[in-house]
Amino acid sequence: MIKVLFFAFLKEAAGRESMEVEMSGETLADLKKKLSQEYRIENLETVMAAVNEEFAPDDTVLEEGDTVAFIPPVSGG
Amino acid sequence: MSERYSRQVLFSGIGPHGQEKLKASHVLIIGAGALGAANSEVLVRAGIGKLTIVDRDYVEESNLQRQQLYTEQDVHKKYPKAAAAKRHLEEINSEAEIHAFVMDAVPQSLELILQDVDLIIDAADNFETRLMVNDLAHKHKIPWIYGACVGSFGMSFTILPGKTPCLNCLLRTIPMQGINCDTAGIIGPAVQMTVAHQTAEALKILVGDWDAVRTTFVSFDLWNSQYQSIKAGRAKRDDCLTCGSDAVYPYLQAENTTKTAVLCGRETVQVRPPALVQLELKQLAGSLNAQGYDVKANPYLVSAENDGERIVVFKDGRALIHGTKDVVYAKSLYQKLLG
Ligand SMILES: [Zn+2]
Repeated sequence: MIKVLFFAFLKEAAGRESMEVEMSGETLADLKKKLSQEYRIENLETVMAAVNEEFAPDDTVLEEGDTVAFIPPVSGG
Repeated sequence: MSERYSRQVLFSGIGPHGQEKLKASHVLIIGAGALGAANSEVLVRAGIGKLTIVDRDYVEESNLQRQQLYTEQDVHKKYPKAAAAKRHLEEINSEAEIHAFVMDAVPQSLELILQDVDLIIDAADNFETRLMVNDLAHKHKIPWIYGACVGSFGMSFTILPGKTPCLNCLLRTIPMQGINCDTAGIIGPAVQMTVAHQTAEALKILVGDWDAVRTTFVSFDLWNSQYQSIKAGRAKRDDCLTCGSDAVYPYLQAENTTKTAVLCGRETVQVRPPALVQLELKQLAGSLNAQGYDVKANPYLVSAENDGERIVVFKDGRALIHGTKDVVYAKSLYQKLLG
């Protein structure tokens, strides 16, 4: 299982704070695709992604037990 | 050492030597909204020698809930934020040298200010400005501290040119802005927490305690009690156009393309003249009055209202057209009134 965490307004977009997906061996890009196709969470390309509390590129291969966090950069000041 | 900084000097991370370094430092703050007001107050109280603050807007009633330097008087007088901040900061610490610029943060103007700047603090309200600041900081090799907040959420990251990834490494495209500022609102604590992170890093950098500088990207949600520190090292990209080996500073070049911008958080369009100008505000006030507008003015701006149309024109020729997000309408009204 891969644990997925949503931050800030993504929480509302996803309708939840976190979820678990069966995606070991697949990439972060695959996960984004799944989230947009199956859960209608849009614009994940513009969101920062961290795997196990470290920023990770799209080609990162996810492993069993990983935690993926999606953090939308905010612009307010 | 005067009594004024005695408690800070007692703190081992600063000490008498650190205090002297603060006194000798110059910090540039981009933006005088919530983050700019709070950052500037902390640093001026801490005893930095020189502070420059740049902002294009004026104080409005809806700012008072979280923009800690401003007062009802500032709202009443429609004082520009940078000028109001300067006045309040000078009251707080008369030893500090405060420079205020009521203008758009554009590269040409900022490059004139940068020479002796030791650190840039980001208190902007949009990504376009931040990516431009990111370019400037790398071109001139000045550390800068990203900070942003919305709702109960905030984030900060310290960017050291040549060492850390830059903002352009972290954001592959400019994210959408709409969701952030227009709809989500903001609470004061999110501002304070963001500023606490920014100013702590600022003090470390200014006293030269580089080992203590945070290397992780911080994000938090105060309402939902979440706090995350994310390792950022791997995000650095060799082909980054801002910090990579072939840097071209893309956001310094796009200048002069945007002449209108929809302002964050409200129904307002800013129109900027294509060249640098200095308006004769008295004359403008008279002409707007003759055109049937109800006019209010101070040394920095003219505010005019007529039949639901509200327009504020600054000395540098910029205008804020309120009550609309329609840039075409805003531009035509600007041209009609200022020809
Ligand atoms: Zn970069």
